[in-house]
Amino acid sequence: MSPKTLCVPGERLCSTEECVPGPGTYLRHGYIFASLAGYVLRKNAGEEMPVVSVVKESEAQLLPDVGATVTCKVEIYKSFRPGDIVLAKVISLGDVQSNYLLTTAENELGVVVAHSEAALCIPAGEQMVPISWCEMQCPRTHAKEFRKVARVQPEYLQA
Amino acid sequence: MPVDTKRVRGPDESQSPLLFVLPSTGKPECPQEGREDGRQRSQADVRPVFARCGLISQAKGSAYIEAGNTKLICSVYGPRETDRKDEVDMKSGRLVCDFRFAPFSCPKRGSWIQGSEEKALSLGLLESLLPAACLHKYPRSQIEVNVVALEHDGSVLAHAVTCASLALADAGIEMYDLVLGCALRQDGPSFLIDPTFAEESGAQSAGSGENQGRVTVALLPSLHQVSGLQSDGEMAEDTLVGAVKACIEGCQRLYPVIQQALARAVRRKAPPTAV
Amino acid sequence: MAAGYNHSVEPLLKYRIRVKKENCRPDGRELGEFRTTTLNIGSVSTADGSALVKIGNTTIICGIKAELTAPPVDAPNKGYIVPNVDLPPLCSSRFRPGPPGEQAQAASQFIADVIESSQVIRREDICIEKGKLCWVLYCDIMCLDYDGNILDACIIALIAALKNVQLPEVNINTETELAEVNMKQKKHLNITKHPVGSSFAVFDDTIIIVDPTAEEEELSTGMITVVTDENEKLCAVHKPGGTALSGEKLQDCISRAITRNREVSKLINEVMQSAKLK
Repeated sequence: MSPKTLCVPGERLCSTEECVPGPGTYLRHGYIFASLAGYVLRKNAGEEMPVVSVVKESEAQLLPDVGATVTCKVEIYKSFRPGDIVLAKVISLGDVQSNYLLTTAENELGVVVAHSEAALCIPAGEQMVPISWCEMQCPRTHAKEFRKVARVQPEYLQA
Repeated sequence: MPVDTKRVRGPDESQSPLLFVLPSTGKPECPQEGREDGRQRSQADVRPVFARCGLISQAKGSAYIEAGNTKLICSVYGPRETDRKDEVDMKSGRLVCDFRFAPFSCPKRGSWIQGSEEKALSLGLLESLLPAACLHKYPRSQIEVNVVALEHDGSVLAHAVTCASLALADAGIEMYDLVLGCALRQDGPSFLIDPTFAEESGAQSAGSGENQGRVTVALLPSLHQVSGLQSDGEMAEDTLVGAVKACIEGCQRLYPVIQQALARAVRRKAPPTAV
Repeated sequence: MAAGYNHSVEPLLKYRIRVKKENCRPDGRELGEFRTTTLNIGSVSTADGSALVKIGNTTIICGIKAELTAPPVDAPNKGYIVPNVDLPPLCSSRFRPGPPGEQAQAASQFIADVIESSQVIRREDICIEKGKLCWVLYCDIMCLDYDGNILDACIIALIAALKNVQLPEVNINTETELAEVNMKQKKHLNITKHPVGSSFAVFDDTIIIVDPTAEEEELSTGMITVVTDENEKLCAVHKPGGTALSGEKLQDCISRAITRNREVSKLINEVMQSAKLK
């Protein structure tokens, strides 16, 4: 890894023949320029050319880059079902193609109201009661279903 | 006249004591070749600049700049959701600039209510910054830039541009380049770069009224592009071209100081020892 | 929601538990500890007097401009003092551009009350000629960084800026009846009282902390500001709503305010002295 060099927006970092532009940079007339003030980082990610990026904080590289592939197991069917009322936080207003990006990655966020599965409970859709952070129970049939349950905070309910 | 009920009111009218100063005897006129603060005419002799980032704890980014007695502070908030969703182009973010004089910042006390000069300066600031900001990276969001002049001793728009671009960079808003500002007062055959308040508003030194005007240039120093140009007064074409060139040179002189201020802020936030 | 799985822990409760258990605040301060207070006098040369105060991150600047006017009809031997507090969008994302909001209006009125009740300056002192000419001191106070407890900072900035003011000599020409200003002869104001404020955040009358940050102000159930002068006399007490406070707790606040007055007076004097030496 190259030594830590600082740059300011507008500084020319290198030509596109040497590197591929990464986050915090932009391309112009065959050269890569910095669009952020920070440290210049060159990373060989197995590709032919290293990726050049500008990071504001040196510890940022310990965290995965935006868009990087992180392997973990999230089973959507164990978290949410259609019709659930979910408390989530807006983490980004989204880019051109996509809509709002939401997160429930906090203890206080997740499913608030859910109804039990129709096939198991007649008449269908009794409102379920949370019994743990990952399970809810139908009060009529006592059938348990998996949900990412929110630990609801009173101030969220008022808002 | 509408009564301002939201502020503590003083008398209906008051005058600055400067209006009643007895005319002093034999005040020496400013010499033709030199300037009152010892700088030279017709040279890119900008005042030394002091710049710092990150002074406002509540802001995403901030900067303070001092050039001679001109003192400006700027904060940047955002990107956050836009106030007015209806008319916004959803594909790119919006930059909002607000320029204000503190009431005590000028020789004559100003009002708390934003005047036409402040509105014009807000617009000039916005236009100079827009070409530099990568707004397409912030769709549906707005980025707010607030500048307050704490003391006005000339060339406020120019220094406001520099201060704001520094605060934007401190906030981590992506930009194609920094933006640096420099102002100039053309006074007949000679010019005064980075003029003080007195030089900016003072009468011409030569008798004739030719080539009198003011120019402010905003420059993207690394890409070497002009992002803002304001001029008033009457100048011959070649004089104006010369004035713009002098301003560009003035901007370039500021560049190392601004780079250092920014590098200092980056280092303070994240010391390089971590790697 | 069903009971049993509703052990909601609000941030306020979290804060209260932590403060009680460790007797320590998120920034490491003790309950009765002020943040570091710094003062800079006379940094704005376009003002007749100015001061910049920092209490922790909170930054307040006060600039005073003196102008000439006719004395008020109901008090022909007095001048005017006009304080205004501005909370611009620059200082925090909680403020929007436009006319002053409720908090700024309340702060302006509070500062005006402190000036009036503590008699910082005798308004007779700034009258030049009875019924004809007097000074109006526009004391414009602006917040540059809002991290709680602006009232204490505003009062320090105001007093320090007033001490920094120098007014030129003014005579009325007996023939022309016009004012004549002599900029070469300047005089300091006669500051007769030195009020100092101490603000406290209250948590249900159980915990009282001094000099709250913006975060602590938001979590608190009430605020109180006590202003005393150097003779340990109360000038103003400001308690805008919130939870009730026992007389005993109020007495504690007043005692703390009296010590704080000594600390701040010492700071102002030191800065004034070093400014003179320069």
